[in-house]
Amino acid sequence: MENSSLNRKFDRILALENAGKLKASSGNRALSKFYNNRLAVFGLIVFSIILLTAVFAPLLTSHDPLKINLRNIAQSPSWEHWFGTDRTGRDVFSRVLYGGRISILVGLGSALMAAVIGVAIGAYTGFKGGWIDVIALRISEIFMSFPQIILVLMLVSIAGQSLFNLIFIFVLTGWGAMYRMTRARMLSLREEEYVQALQSFGLSTATICYKHILPNALGPIMVNITLSTAAFILAEAGLSFLGLGVPLNLPTWGNILNVAQEIRVLQNFWWMWLPVGLVISLFVLSVNFIGDGLRDATDPSQQG
Amino acid sequence: MLTYVIRRILILIPMLLIISFLVYWGLELTPGDAVSHLINPEAAGRMSAEQLNDLRESYGLNKSFIERYGIWLINVLQGNFGHSLAGGVPIADIFLDRLPATLELSFVALFFSTVMGSILGTISALKRGSAVDSGLTVVGMLGVSIPELFFGLVALLIFALELGWLPVGGRLLPSYTSYWDHVPNIVLPALVLSLMMTAGVMRYSRSSMLDALSREFITTARSKGLPEWRINLLHGFRVALTPVVVLIGFRLPVLIGGTVIIEQVFQWPGIGNEFISSVRGADYPLVMMIALFSVFAVLLASLIIDVLTALIDPRVRLS
Amino acid sequence: METDHNIALSVKNLKTYFYTNNRCNRAVNGVSFDIEKGKTLCIVGESGCGKSVTASTIMQLLPRLSRIEEGSITYHSDAGDIDIENLERNGQKMRAIRGSEIAMIFQDPMTALNPVYTIGFQIGESLKYHTDLTRKQIRDKTIDLLRDMGISLPEQRIDEYPHQYSGGMRQRAMIAMAMSCNPKILIADEPTTALDVTIQAQIFELMDRLKEKHNTAIMLITHDMGVVAELADDVAVMYMGNIVEAGTIDEVLRTPTHPYTRALLDSIPVLGEGKNQIIEPIPGSTPDPYQRPKGCQFAPRCTHYSEQCDIMPAETQISETHRIMCWKYQEFATNGK
Repeated sequence: MENSSLNRKFDRILALENAGKLKASSGNRALSKFYNNRLAVFGLIVFSIILLTAVFAPLLTSHDPLKINLRNIAQSPSWEHWFGTDRTGRDVFSRVLYGGRISILVGLGSALMAAVIGVAIGAYTGFKGGWIDVIALRISEIFMSFPQIILVLMLVSIAGQSLFNLIFIFVLTGWGAMYRMTRARMLSLREEEYVQALQSFGLSTATICYKHILPNALGPIMVNITLSTAAFILAEAGLSFLGLGVPLNLPTWGNILNVAQEIRVLQNFWWMWLPVGLVISLFVLSVNFIGDGLRDATDPSQQG
Repeated sequence: MLTYVIRRILILIPMLLIISFLVYWGLELTPGDAVSHLINPEAAGRMSAEQLNDLRESYGLNKSFIERYGIWLINVLQGNFGHSLAGGVPIADIFLDRLPATLELSFVALFFSTVMGSILGTISALKRGSAVDSGLTVVGMLGVSIPELFFGLVALLIFALELGWLPVGGRLLPSYTSYWDHVPNIVLPALVLSLMMTAGVMRYSRSSMLDALSREFITTARSKGLPEWRINLLHGFRVALTPVVVLIGFRLPVLIGGTVIIEQVFQWPGIGNEFISSVRGADYPLVMMIALFSVFAVLLASLIIDVLTALIDPRVRLS
Repeated sequence: METDHNIALSVKNLKTYFYTNNRCNRAVNGVSFDIEKGKTLCIVGESGCGKSVTASTIMQLLPRLSRIEEGSITYHSDAGDIDIENLERNGQKMRAIRGSEIAMIFQDPMTALNPVYTIGFQIGESLKYHTDLTRKQIRDKTIDLLRDMGISLPEQRIDEYPHQYSGGMRQRAMIAMAMSCNPKILIADEPTTALDVTIQAQIFELMDRLKEKHNTAIMLITHDMGVVAELADDVAVMYMGNIVEAGTIDEVLRTPTHPYTRALLDSIPVLGEGKNQIIEPIPGSTPDPYQRPKGCQFAPRCTHYSEQCDIMPAETQISETHRIMCWKYQEFATNGK
């Protein structure tokens, strides 16, 4: 019964409180809340492990992810090749590790860049208001009325396939959401009294906006970065799976998954696509857990 | 109410104009010109250089960019979307051919995910902190984290290839005699797409319901001595519904994105599938028209959602 | 004043604690009072003193992470006494009391009314669950109620939505809703804070009229001493979860005894005393509820502090109806104003 467990929890808190053991927590309350969220901590651990294995890939595997070995085609997993080899004899495990480097770079890099651009524009135009705000809003509306995958594929077909183009296109399609969120926060924050006080001191718009207001919107911005990182990694996987993302000669998670389009591979060579699919899912899951944890930790209306 | 709808439509028009202009500009940036876009390429191949030049003249290709855009726009408004570079089929015909498949798939997914998502999300919110809630939260998180193509592939492997319960792909096979024969074909793609979307709707309706339940009128309702089911359904759910309906509109782009991938995985002959082949084959006129069409669909959906919201919410309806 | 048949509700040594963020906040820490039929009890105090929590506790409308620790809330119904603290929060017995025996109105009628239903629907809901009236009778009764509350054209207004009402009318509709089943007790939680001053007066007038007419007991929660002087028969002054002073309106306003009450009265201007009156703000601010003073909660801000005050003072009866929580009441009682 929910009531009895709640009552037990209350008794425990009350006993601690009576014993004077609960002191005002020193340090950051949001941080301690984050660490008390089991799923968020799980997310952070998984995220760190996958990130580190990608970064230190050369130390973890001696196989070259690009080296074709026609004598070793489509081997099932063994001690030598943990995830087996693909149809050109490349080691799948090392491809997953090295692929993580590019996939995470694309996901995290695009999210960060989109955040920088979206936040910079959103904070300034939202605070300033007037015609500049209207123009920025309309532009973002245009970008956001395209379904992301359509816009990305359209741009890919115009700009061509390359790693740089993909990141550029992700930033172009992703800044809008960030901009919207920052602008909305800005519109409510600029009415606060401390902002009016700062204005009456004669501080410049840029100083007030970036130095004094922006830090107050940091929570939602961080949450948004994690969520768009997850979205971009999924988008990269989807596009590369279609063969339209990162050029196929570079190992990325999506490119490794690409082979599964063939029914023969799907059915007979599970090691070529199943492990990488699980890694993508696990990584995105961990990023989403971190995002949720951050949201709960930074949202003062969530208590528990 | 009527003036509200008219005003909303009037706002849409400049938006569509700007987007169509951008799309046309994109089209101009790609190789080829309007002649190859507007007339059947095979016919164009048989023409002499002189004839082509006359044709260019007659289409006004020597006119300014803006004028060319105007001509193109008028053509599009008249239903002349130009021709696909591959095979020279009129794009309008391709749409007519492929659209039913996509609409069928997306409506099933939209319906299923909305109903399931809002019910599960509401249950989760009402049982907040319980095992059911934690379970649904983790499942929902998995749903938004697993790439839909991966989920689709695994489902395909298990239910079609290994167990052989359902067909591997395709839609209206030549052997089918009635429309209902293809129902087994739609099960897997629709289920995969629905489940992935259910997760998102569920997460959203949970938070929307929690938000509604924390409002003061819930306390008022309780202070009147109403039974809990009435408070939760009539006061909580009814108010939580508005943002969920809005979300469904916002999810149309997500749905389109999901459809593109799922159609590819299950070889479903819809617009998304056509779009991928047109991007792969550098069939620019087709790419641009599908893009334009998808924007039109998104804007139309947002219009419908706005009107729906207004119908649900008396504050908008009566102002 | 033992089990007087005029008493509608008695609260004894009530403690309600909140358990948010893994801490315990003793929001209401042992309060006792009675509400008499046909009279208005005003509970005054600064925000966060526990006055609203006391009201929610009586109605069992507490948030999830809180519970009644100790004490009793006894409702003296016509059919015998009911111990509210033992009832299941949203159980059938509690629901039968809410809205029909004890009703409540809230601070902001805009947020307290559901925006998607008509006023008539929301008043009718209460009647639907507490009476056997038919749909038609409910509608007629709702129209009568709205007319009683001074809303013109009730036949039309009944089908309008809250956002179509003005602030004052919304609160009238709230009162109509609360009074629909003729409750014995009406709890009003700062009912006019969100309204204009002229509307405030009208609302209070309405409440006073209803009290006379139906012999309703009213528990009015406010932070406004002016409202107290206007409406109260009895007053309880709350500070940090305790009632520091309580008594009849004359006792508390004419011979304020607790230093907090006196400070509170000194901090507001009095109409008619001209512009030269001395207005003293209360020094300091209310303490953090998680780092409460050991003894008397007001001690750190009190100008009469002595070591004795580090121990919580007990409630002392200084007249039959006047009681106070202060070690030094004798000093003040003798040299009182």
